[in-house]
Amino acid sequence: MTSYWNAFRVIFLRDIILASRYRAELANPLIFFIMVIVLFPFAFGSDPDLLRRVTAGMIWITALLASSLSLEGIFRSDYADGSAEQMVLSGYPLTLLVAAKIAAHWCLTGLPLIIIAMLTAYLLSLPTQALQALFLTLFLGTPVLSLIGAIAVALTVGLRSGGMLLSLIILPLYMPILIFSMLAVENAMADIPFDAELYFLSGMLVLSVTLAPIATAYSLRIRMS
Amino acid sequence: MMERQTAQDDHTEDAGLSQLEVSGLECIRQDIILFQDISFKLQSGDLLQVDGLNGSGKSSLLRILAGLMQQNAGKISWQRKEISTCRYEYQQELSYIGHLNGVKDALTALENLRVMVALAGSKPEFPLSKALDQIELVGMESIPLSRMSAGQKRRVALARLFITKAAIWLLDEPFTSLDASGKLVIERLIAEHCACGGIIIFSTHQPMEIKDCSIMHIHLGKK
Repeated sequence: MTSYWNAFRVIFLRDIILASRYRAELANPLIFFIMVIVLFPFAFGSDPDLLRRVTAGMIWITALLASSLSLEGIFRSDYADGSAEQMVLSGYPLTLLVAAKIAAHWCLTGLPLIIIAMLTAYLLSLPTQALQALFLTLFLGTPVLSLIGAIAVALTVGLRSGGMLLSLIILPLYMPILIFSMLAVENAMADIPFDAELYFLSGMLVLSVTLAPIATAYSLRIRMS
Repeated sequence: MMERQTAQDDHTEDAGLSQLEVSGLECIRQDIILFQDISFKLQSGDLLQVDGLNGSGKSSLLRILAGLMQQNAGKISWQRKEISTCRYEYQQELSYIGHLNGVKDALTALENLRVMVALAGSKPEFPLSKALDQIELVGMESIPLSRMSAGQKRRVALARLFITKAAIWLLDEPFTSLDASGKLVIERLIAEHCACGGIIIFSTHQPMEIKDCSIMHIHLGKK
């Protein structure tokens, strides 16, 4: 058991170290996120009432796009330099190692995204009760984005037009997350409890934590052969 | 389709020995039969060279033996158990070095070795610094691989063989981009591993000298 934990830790830390050496790559999805958010007020005008109503939605949509962009690289370098082969052949279940990679990916992209999203939501004058709902939905939702996305990335890694194909595969799968997150924020703005939506998102999170690494490992094995 | 010289089981059966048995292996890629009916039996101390022209299926054979690819027909058994039934057991006994080095360019040699050791799931046979000494990269511990030459990266990849305790080595063109002294190190390593009762299957286009070891050959593709 301890050696399993050790293998998880080594892959997790390896990815964190790798990301810290390619800092620009890490920052790109976040800069993309901020840029797109900035575009919205230009398109819709600066009417505070209107912005208040659409802010949460545009933050979530932009988060989906940023997530699908950043996910693309999760297995790319492993596939290209042969590390993926060695992970498949290691003495540990591939599911475990893949889970470590996804966890590292979320810590590197999901967490900073939540922080920046909260800042922009505050700047765009989202009401306080909605801020709380937005934070909770992002906190429960972004790990699901990384987990579900990883399956599709593993399936498309090494393909020539992988990036576009990836978005086409994962964006429909992200829809339930978007729907329930937006419902939660709307309810919060209307001062209605939004527990049900949070429970649903938590359920999605538990489901994807347990099943997505298995599916990702399986997809990766298929791409290797 | 193919000609082969198989390793005959002239060893006596011994429960303590490692044993890798392949029978009737067939691989089809893009509707072309790369090889079929490959059979051999290897025991502790055996060294098998896979010969063949480019595109004759040498890498495919090694990848199938590693379990990275599925064969179209045939059976691979390790210690008389089919490898699909004892995948992790088999993989812990296995070191595969393919065309890709499987090392990270952004990490230093030492960091790469640490990851290798952790993933192999075994305690390192000897200290990592000694492994660096063996591959003649002492003094370059803190330089990322992206700043090293192709040959130096290959050495780091081959250091996997020093630090893990795998019984079976599958080496696909191990001498690629190595210089003469690097080649010598690997040849010595191969001879030592055979003497210690390991099994090695490798492919190479370079002439090589392995002391005190008879090399068996298997030939793929048209003659």
